[in-house]
Amino acid sequence: MSVLSNPIDRRVILKSAAAVGVLQVASPFVISARGETPIRIGMVDPLTGVYAAVAQNEVAGAKLAVEEINAKGGVLGRPIELLVEDSANDVGTGVQKTRKLIERDQASFIIGDVNSGIAQAMAQVTAEKKVLHIVSGGHTDGITGKDCKWNVYRVCNTTRMEANSVSELLVNKYGKKWHFITPDYAFGHTLQQACADNLKKLGGTVTGNELAPLGTNDFSAYLIKARAANPDVLILLPQGSDMVNCLKQIVQFGIDKQIHIAGTQQELESLEALPPEARIGIWMFEWYWKQENNARLAQFVADVRKRTGGKVPTARTWFGYTSVYSFALVANREKTLDALKLAQALGDFELPDEVKLQPNKVYYRRGDHQLMTSAFVGQAVSKGESDPEDLFRVDSIVAGDNTAPAVSETGCTLQWPA
Amino acid sequence: MTQLLLFNVTNGLIIGAFYVLMALGLSLILNLSNVINFAHGGFLVIGGYIAYTITPYVGFWGALLIAPLATAVIGLIVERLLIRPLYGRDPLYSLLLTFGLAFLIEDGTRFIWGAQGKPVTVPAVLAQPLSYEFFFITGYRLFMVAMVIISVTLLFVLLRYTRLGIRIRAGTLDLETVSAMGINVRMLRSFNFAVGIFLAGLSGVLAAGQLGLEPTMGTGLLMPSFIAIIVGGVGSLPGTLIGGLLIGVASGVTAVFAPAASEAIMYVLMAVILLLRPRGLLGEEGMMT
Repeated sequence: MSVLSNPIDRRVILKSAAAVGVLQVASPFVISARGETPIRIGMVDPLTGVYAAVAQNEVAGAKLAVEEINAKGGVLGRPIELLVEDSANDVGTGVQKTRKLIERDQASFIIGDVNSGIAQAMAQVTAEKKVLHIVSGGHTDGITGKDCKWNVYRVCNTTRMEANSVSELLVNKYGKKWHFITPDYAFGHTLQQACADNLKKLGGTVTGNELAPLGTNDFSAYLIKARAANPDVLILLPQGSDMVNCLKQIVQFGIDKQIHIAGTQQELESLEALPPEARIGIWMFEWYWKQENNARLAQFVADVRKRTGGKVPTARTWFGYTSVYSFALVANREKTLDALKLAQALGDFELPDEVKLQPNKVYYRRGDHQLMTSAFVGQAVSKGESDPEDLFRVDSIVAGDNTAPAVSETGCTLQWPA
Repeated sequence: MTQLLLFNVTNGLIIGAFYVLMALGLSLILNLSNVINFAHGGFLVIGGYIAYTITPYVGFWGALLIAPLATAVIGLIVERLLIRPLYGRDPLYSLLLTFGLAFLIEDGTRFIWGAQGKPVTVPAVLAQPLSYEFFFITGYRLFMVAMVIISVTLLFVLLRYTRLGIRIRAGTLDLETVSAMGINVRMLRSFNFAVGIFLAGLSGVLAAGQLGLEPTMGTGLLMPSFIAIIVGGVGSLPGTLIGGLLIGVASGVTAVFAPAASEAIMYVLMAVILLLRPRGLLGEEGMMT
């Protein structure tokens, strides 16, 4: 049979075209970099599912850091490359993607995940593979507490730091009877426990704790119970779309006119998803884009806006940005990629002004690998006056050293490899 | 305690009414076309986003009408291009197709409107509780219930008294005979599908007023709707109506005693019904064979 008489089947062409198309979607996002052998950074975050908005901001921050670092000569003279994988907000997928990044893509450093449960599971993998890992956005205490690991650091606050940043203020300003609405998983449980402990120390009482499953649409049943208990403050601990649903319903029910509404962690992503009348309450932000007299910060905001179609950076953008920079700075200082040496060097590592983008000293604590980052305590604002995205009024910026419990109280004992 | 219980029964009825609206659309499509539409939550989200996009131009009331219609048109296109070729096959095919479609819609909305939720404001007249005591009965929630009642009434009138409706009901029972009598079954199915998707779109507009409008909004609302159908009985629209209200109340009452079980109770209810009366409350035997 001649070659000519065996033309390529139309179906084969179609199939290969489809395969190429699928490949483009399926392969991870790559920032191409100059040079022969780039250093790879693997990032796992829930780009789809309920945490997609915050995860995408973390990725945007990480991308910006990679661009900046490469423009300044990269790490150890080599360019860095960011590989982003979607954990789909699923523990199994997150673990599998982490393994793939380490085993197949040879990533030297891992970042992720927004979801505490996935972050903890990823830490098992990175510890087993002896790869340096920074948890960008999972808050549950265990990560830098009883489950801490020699190779794992964390940028965002612990739930206890969040609780400590606002508890006293809320008691003084709003009163001593608190009722909680708590998301029913690791993050919510530790956060509620921390708040309740603080309240007890301050002489207050808990009138009730409504455990709402993750993904609750209708909060009315919980709100009926909460109002019947007649507390001074209703503390909202859910995050993401749950927070949005809950606040929207509270305002429609007029409960904010009878009981003070407050909480710990609040995010710009949530406030922007709320109608103006539901942007209420006292909260803490983990980072805020608007601060007085900080020229470097203004530059950072402008750089992010250029890349996001005008959207300002959120705390999540800063988490991603800081995670990549921490690795690059410490690797350049130590002139090595060895995970053990880098992990040791990151203890007590202080972020320089151009990265920390906030007042107060910001550093990784040697004893539990937790970043001592500030809490921005303040009030939600219904409409931004100078900028439509300026939806939070910062009243005080509390240093991480003042919100974090002592290392001895975290339950962390680091086991270094022999 | 009695008061709390009473509050939650009322509250459960309101939530149940919303499930009914969504479940009726699902049920219509399932009954006539044997398509288990997993993308129903996706169409709900599309309805919400269209409403959000056109509200600045046509206002809330305009969006309330236009968005469901636009969603129905998208539904028609989907039915014509993707679902129709699968009618003759095992229901598993369309189930898999709509399952994939649900992901496509979720990512599509994320691509177009972004992952971050959008702020939806309801008209000020509706966004108030009616009384201090019954704070959970807001103008908006009553309005939602009213919309459900109107939609259900119109749907029943359509099915009971119009030629088209009678054909749809006849088709549900025996499509082959209906077809043999010279009725254009394709048109019938398209129209029926569009009505179902219209209800999904309407649910989306109404839900966006109460919940955060974001690409995954429909996911949590889809399962209760399926349960409503199974509890009420596959093939029976009045069954779906009762099923929706029943799970709403069951979930509301459970929330008083054990909030964590307020979702699980729906599944428990479904399991009990399936054990005691496999066809569902008002279902006919052998509908899903």
